[in-house]
Amino acid sequence: MSESKTTSLYEFHLSKNAKIIDFAGWSMPFSYDGTLKEHHYVRESAGYFDVSHMGRLRLNYSQIEEINYLICSDLKNISNTKALYSIFISEDGTAIDDVIFWKFEDDLILICNASNTNKIKTHLDIHSINYEDLTMNTDLVAVQGKNAIDIVTNIMSVPDKFSTSKEGKYVYARTGYTGEDGLEVMLDSNDTLGFISELEAKGVKPCGLGSRDTLRLEASLPLYGFELTDDISPIEAGLKWTVTNKDDYLGKEVIDHQIESKEHKHLKRFKLNAKQIARTGTICISDGVEGIVTSGNISPILGYPIGFVLFKSNPADDLVEFDIRGNLIEGNLLYKRFLS
Amino acid sequence: MSETKYLETHEWYIVDGDNVTVGISDYAQGELGDIVFVTLPEVGQEFSKGDAIVEVEATKTVAEAYAPMNCVITEVNSTLETEPELINNDPVGEGWMVKAEIKEMDDSGMSYQQYESFIS
Repeated sequence: MSESKTTSLYEFHLSKNAKIIDFAGWSMPFSYDGTLKEHHYVRESAGYFDVSHMGRLRLNYSQIEEINYLICSDLKNISNTKALYSIFISEDGTAIDDVIFWKFEDDLILICNASNTNKIKTHLDIHSINYEDLTMNTDLVAVQGKNAIDIVTNIMSVPDKFSTSKEGKYVYARTGYTGEDGLEVMLDSNDTLGFISELEAKGVKPCGLGSRDTLRLEASLPLYGFELTDDISPIEAGLKWTVTNKDDYLGKEVIDHQIESKEHKHLKRFKLNAKQIARTGTICISDGVEGIVTSGNISPILGYPIGFVLFKSNPADDLVEFDIRGNLIEGNLLYKRFLS
Repeated sequence: MSETKYLETHEWYIVDGDNVTVGISDYAQGELGDIVFVTLPEVGQEFSKGDAIVEVEATKTVAEAYAPMNCVITEVNSTLETEPELINNDPVGEGWMVKAEIKEMDDSGMSYQQYESFIS
């Protein structure tokens, strides 16, 4: 096995006594003060995350048609100041990766999951799309939280939600993965520590991948490798809203058929009235339909276990029984987001 | 009261006459991350050495604590039902899990020094 990659902040994380884990071939901070504390920093105030492990590729507008053909969303026709969440679709209609595009007047940047950077690069290569890989000489820092925007206003001008901006050393968008408002900021690795000291001086706390996961789950956001895989389509994952591409695109036939027929797997949210967490891989049954938990954890805000479960077809009932280490635990499917 | 002993499965226990108190080690709580739910046994429940007596759900993973010897539960730390974080904050003190009457003494656990070299 090859050695784990590190971000430019690795030594800094160690100096903060971060618990380090291997994630997608990167040595990343799992937590600093503890996952629950960090979760509450973001829900109640603000936290920052080193997400420099995520792939960052610069694309060219001259190939916008070719890029648009590979995703289910309409990247081509939205304004060049927008950030767009979209999904690269395979010929079979399944997800190759879920990504963010940052559109600028003069620049187009693709941010992909760390576990999929190589897969996306190969995919772009196959379709003769040129890119410049910025991953190793830039960093990506997410500033997220209830007070995040108030705080970063003192550092840079804040664009509208899902919009992008460039200012001095900062290239950024008002996007995130926690359910809170905030910015995701790309900058030259030489400038990152300075930016982080500014954030810390304003009371923003470091947060690791542990709280990033509990926050995204509680915010009902999917994680590639769990809710979305190369065996799950965006329709199956409940992400039909991302399908806005009006042109022909790879996998369109399958996606259109799934939308029309509703004959596909169904991802649902669930909660348990128990002290057991139904974790990834837990088998369950609802109305005779078998399902498997894709992600599960406690919701620190709600205080009970929540998660996503993928059913073979759409169950008619909202009662569901989970087999947690041999015990049958009852739960409920939810038709709304976990947090209102 | 005898010294605190440790098991390879990361429990600690203290023998006091015919009784034993059991919890999990500081190392174990650190590895589990934030503990959010604890399922305790019933008073009067009987366990053999190696049986799972407590189930601990943490944000990172789930773990069980095992009986260090054959015993019958006499008391559970019910505070853990509402404050499971006591195990993170004070694993070998306030975060104790159960007290039990010893049915068959087995004091073969490691000393703290032995346990420290075992985990390092």
